[in-house]
Amino acid sequence: MTQNMTPPLTLTLGHLYPDQLNLYGDRGNILVLRRRCQQRGIELRVVGLGIGDALAPDEYDMLFIGGGQDKEEIPVAQDLHDIKGIGLWAAIEDDMPVLAVCGGYQLLAQYYRPASGSDIRGLGVFDAWTIHKGARVPRCIGDIAISWNGSTLVGFENHGGRTYLGTARPLGKVLKGHGNNSEDTTEGAIYRNTYGTYMHGSLLPKNPHFADHLIGLALRRKYDIWATPDTGTTGERTNGTTSTDGDTLASLTPLDDTLEWEAHTSLLEKLGLHNQAVATWQAHNAVKVS
Amino acid sequence: MRKQRAPRVGSRINNLRTGWQKRNIHRKQKAAERLPGNSLRNSPPNRRTTLRAGLAVFGGRAAGALSRRLHLGGGTSITGLVAQKVYPDIVGHLATQLEFGSVVVTGTNGKTTTSAFISAILSDAGLRVWRNREGSNLMGGIASSLVMRALPNGLLRRAGQAMTIFEVDEAVVPQVVETVSPRVAVFTNLFRDQLDRYGEVDSVAALWQQAVSNLSIDTILVLNADDPATANLGELFAGRVLYFGIDDPALDLTKQQGTSERHQVSDTRTCPRCGGDYTYDMRFFSHMGHYRCTSCGHERPQPDVRVVKAKTDDFDRLRIGISSSVLPATQPREIVIPLPGIYNVYNALAAATAAQALGIGWEPIVTGIEQFKPIFGRGERIQVEGRTLRLLFSEEGTARHVLFVLNNNIADGRDVSWIWDVDFERTVGQTATLVAAGSRALDLALRLKYAGVSQEEMIIVPPAPLRATKRDRILNNHNKRAMKNSNTSDTVVTETIKRIPGTKRAGRYGIAEALDAAVNLTPVGETLFVVPTYTGLLEIHGELERRGLTPHYWEDRDS
Repeated sequence: MTQNMTPPLTLTLGHLYPDQLNLYGDRGNILVLRRRCQQRGIELRVVGLGIGDALAPDEYDMLFIGGGQDKEEIPVAQDLHDIKGIGLWAAIEDDMPVLAVCGGYQLLAQYYRPASGSDIRGLGVFDAWTIHKGARVPRCIGDIAISWNGSTLVGFENHGGRTYLGTARPLGKVLKGHGNNSEDTTEGAIYRNTYGTYMHGSLLPKNPHFADHLIGLALRRKYDIWATPDTGTTGERTNGTTSTDGDTLASLTPLDDTLEWEAHTSLLEKLGLHNQAVATWQAHNAVKVS
Repeated sequence: MRKQRAPRVGSRINNLRTGWQKRNIHRKQKAAERLPGNSLRNSPPNRRTTLRAGLAVFGGRAAGALSRRLHLGGGTSITGLVAQKVYPDIVGHLATQLEFGSVVVTGTNGKTTTSAFISAILSDAGLRVWRNREGSNLMGGIASSLVMRALPNGLLRRAGQAMTIFEVDEAVVPQVVETVSPRVAVFTNLFRDQLDRYGEVDSVAALWQQAVSNLSIDTILVLNADDPATANLGELFAGRVLYFGIDDPALDLTKQQGTSERHQVSDTRTCPRCGGDYTYDMRFFSHMGHYRCTSCGHERPQPDVRVVKAKTDDFDRLRIGISSSVLPATQPREIVIPLPGIYNVYNALAAATAAQALGIGWEPIVTGIEQFKPIFGRGERIQVEGRTLRLLFSEEGTARHVLFVLNNNIADGRDVSWIWDVDFERTVGQTATLVAAGSRALDLALRLKYAGVSQEEMIIVPPAPLRATKRDRILNNHNKRAMKNSNTSDTVVTETIKRIPGTKRAGRYGIAEALDAAVNLTPVGETLFVVPTYTGLLEIHGELERRGLTPHYWEDRDS
């Protein structure tokens, strides 16, 4: 095990606006990150960063921003702009993994145009913008599955705003559900190691490969002997727990994720994505049965 | 005996009077005058039919007793079925003997709770009350509930001549109202979940319209004003109609930000008059609200009994302010409903309106609802094979044996993200038995896993196996056969079949197996806590009913 040759590993997660953006059980993402680190002997400290708190990029290894309601996004957007903006930009440009869900995602884009009232300015990390077309246009609600990195991500979306990507790269392609705007089959956005998505559920519990991807990114950034799970060469390693890049690069210890993949597969089946369900199940089932 | 055989209107009113005299004396005369219900169609049964009815009662009860003795089931429906075979009109025959008449309650949701509320109110008004067993709400079950109260001479026992509340399945309402001719008919609501059972909502609506046309003009119709399809029945009825509804703008979902229900697709209907779309000025729950047709202006009728204020008092109680134009004008009455959820506001409201239709005053309505012992929900205790089973809506710290049922149907909320905000971490190490069931059993199991519960410490019972494991299951069966040929012992074989391929756990599916697993893991003498979402509760309750394990109200009150 790699822990033997390295001093105890610690990571610090900055949880942005835990009191304002906490609407859809996105806390599950943090529970999952913490536990998956813990099971590998990595200590994950979680620090809440509320309105008014400064963000010193050197103190964190990962950042998380959740979703909230329109009215809560206004003071948050203000704080993001006035206080945390510079630190957050520095962290993002320095390849810090950042996960932004729903409202957090919208605030990292250029702007959010509500159904009534003036635009809310975003941080502009993603070249994308969001428009709420009013109460007459139905919200995007329901289970969602997207393709990501040769595998699938599953979650639950519930958003009124439609996000349109400019030059930003999407996180994945919608297999079932609405995604960014229910028009162009894109979902989420990526800039460097910053991921924006509409997927709740929470996202990470049923997508352990994505959770490990984020942990891997943080470890590699902090301790250079660590590989990111998916800098490898083959597309088969969808569970993100193995890496064969070289002897000097360590990899995350595989965990027993049977239950995670069962829940993931089950949701794919509920969405009628039976081919993906079989592929996912067999890919991860094969890892487990020995 | 002769009096029972040939009840006259006069004696009926006298009986009513004796039952009610302790409470509202001066309102009674008026109430009784408009109450006659089925009296007009009563005629003394002749000797032949009496004999036949007696035979039917005897046959039915014997069959029921035999069935119970042989443990073929509770013997509930067989009693009625046999009796109906012997005398097809046994229900009508016995129903005419109900001196206080009957109340019929139907609707997609809330039948049982509404009937129980009515029953509690009537009891508090000093009346003797009978109810048919929950779950026996088809014609056979209704026949059984009457036959079990009858004597082999074809007459109801005196104790059986109580005010009767029939909880009736929505599909058999036309037959039931024609046969029993109720004094009050309550229609709670019509939901789309009937689609699975009856094809489409409109077909149930058509049945109900037929039922209303079958109603005697003396019957008082109690309708939900906030449910378009239900309220519309009132326009087809020439007799007296009482509407109930909610008038509290604070409950309007369209104004509440951020609740998941706000985003639920409403079960919108089109206007029965012109086919136009309804719009809602207020919407409280699913398609319940203040609706109005955009093209012809047809709108929600003004309710006679209405909730003007409702708020959650505690996590399992509601406080409502209710006012009525049926009873003499007073301030809105405050009632605490010992159940959570806006659907229970409707249930209590339906019961209060039915009671007022029977001429009952505020006092029994308030006490009946407030003292109501929940049929299910927090606090219900049921004995199951030496274990006590308690149904709860939310967890308690002391629970050692817990069965969670997590569904994500519309009534539960489609989104289950909220489970990640629930502090399951507190329960870790306190529980000995943990069973996760329901349509989102796997999500719940994951939540528990990340709260620190190991997979060996919990049992996961999803509704159905993953289709993706089918190939593996076939392979497994193949292995099983191979193992059988190589004379492996049987226990090993069954072990292998039951495992889900690729996982360490046994394949258990569906609510029945979840309940079995949870009960079996709970030591005899201890208590199993069942923590379901709303539709999970209904499923558990249905399963308990099938096993004859539900506490039965009318038995409690009348035996």
